[in-house]
Amino acid sequence: MSFFIRKMSRRTIVQALIALPALSLFRTPPDADASHSDPSRADPNEIVEVNGWILKRSDLA
Amino acid sequence: MIFDSYEAFRAANFKPKVCILGSGPAGTTIARKLGAAGIQVVVLEAGSREFSDESQDFYRGTTVGDFYFDLDITRLRFMGGSSNHWAGWCRVLDKQDFEPKAWAPDTGWPIRRTDIEPYLAEVHDILELPDFRPDVPVSDDIRWVQLIKSPAVRFGEKFADELDKSRNIAVVLNTYATELAGDGKRVTGAKLWSNGQDAGAFSADYFIVCTGGLENSRLLLWSNQRSNGGVVPNATALGRYWMEHPTFEGGNAILANYSEFEVDAVNEAFFSPTLAAMERLQIMNFGIRLIETPYPGVKSLIADLACTAPDMAEWMSSKLSQNLRCAAQLYVAWEQAPLASNQVELSKTDVDHAGVPRIELHWKKSELERRTLLEGLRLFGTTMIEKNLGRVRIADWITNGDDYPTTDETAGHHHMGGTRMGTDVTKSVVDANCKVHGMDNLYVGGSSVFCTSGECNPTTTITALACRLGDHLSKVVTV
Repeated sequence: MSFFIRKMSRRTIVQALIALPALSLFRTPPDADASHSDPSRADPNEIVEVNGWILKRSDLA
Repeated sequence: MIFDSYEAFRAANFKPKVCILGSGPAGTTIARKLGAAGIQVVVLEAGSREFSDESQDFYRGTTVGDFYFDLDITRLRFMGGSSNHWAGWCRVLDKQDFEPKAWAPDTGWPIRRTDIEPYLAEVHDILELPDFRPDVPVSDDIRWVQLIKSPAVRFGEKFADELDKSRNIAVVLNTYATELAGDGKRVTGAKLWSNGQDAGAFSADYFIVCTGGLENSRLLLWSNQRSNGGVVPNATALGRYWMEHPTFEGGNAILANYSEFEVDAVNEAFFSPTLAAMERLQIMNFGIRLIETPYPGVKSLIADLACTAPDMAEWMSSKLSQNLRCAAQLYVAWEQAPLASNQVELSKTDVDHAGVPRIELHWKKSELERRTLLEGLRLFGTTMIEKNLGRVRIADWITNGDDYPTTDETAGHHHMGGTRMGTDVTKSVVDANCKVHGMDNLYVGGSSVFCTSGECNPTTTITALACRLGDHLSKVVTV
């Protein structure tokens, strides 16, 4: 590891560090988020709170 | 026998073994038990037979912390005590209320519910109640609970004739102890005040303090201060762990069919959490009271729901046209976590006409209680969905995390703790028999001995504990 770092320019290391946070954009979104992106896959019996109401997700239809 | 002054009592040459301070539900019940056992008792009642502003003035005090009622309004100082403004709601503390809870420090009693159950038949006669019915599970989390609306017995009125005719009980009106004197082992006497003046010293073999859930602490704090610790030798917890039942409107419910629940004579129904739900969410006990919403309120609630869930609102609207009783306000009363910082102190600046420092009550609701309120409503709302019974809306001030409203019910006028029961002398004042730790002849009756408050009104449990203490004393006191 230290061998590669010694071979890399300081500029390359800085550019790599700046780019690191952007890598998460290429990760596969977890299943838990599916209901937000695709309502058809959400559990209709899931309990949600909207404007103080305690509802089933299917109530929101 | 009932006397209007200490002077008249003294002239009668009645020699009681036991002196009970206060004629409310606890004092009267204990006196009747002892009288029936052939033990001569005097009951000192600070007020007269009727309410008076002069008597109430002794109850003025101040509160530090959360908003609370004026201390001369929240209790009554005349024969029968605060039973005179009792609404009559009856229920005994739950079995789970007596058990310690790992998530709430300083919970748990030294007795179990089974210790007071043998006295419930007597309590039913005293409070004129029908039999209690067991709770009905609605879901794994919520149970329907019965809260009986009794005829609201006024102890002063109901038992006046019996007390007057008794040969073993003397009630002395307009007379009370401003302080007890003690030597760290026994109460050696009491300094009396009668009809607006010093009435000298009085002694008896036993003293039972039953002056109410605020006044018990005040009398013992003041007595202990005057006796250099001779009345409550272990006084670390004295006045502390004071509790109420905070009560606020927590939201509304639209119900598919109001008659799904059993309601009482005034169309109200009550719900509480199961122990499993309390454990899972690490919350305190609570009671949700359903109060039927008038028709215009139902319409505006459905209109509000239509903004969020139009189809559900349409379905509810159709239900409304079939059944006018389909919505309710949800009032939540909950158990306060016992905190040493919630306490009765003696004022350093203000005294009453007899020179006794007035009460300075320190009272604050905790974060655990706030969570109990929110999670309790969520539990109820989720149960309504699971059982297809309706939908719940939580009030905005709760979901927004705003301050408690100051225009709501606030609390139940239930004064508990201050002389709590326990085995650890640093965290309690009386033992399992309501005897003050370290004292041979001093006992406490009433809700000030409560270790935890549960969610229900205290009078039924107060009366049961008083029957139990009366039985205990009738074996201890030699005739």
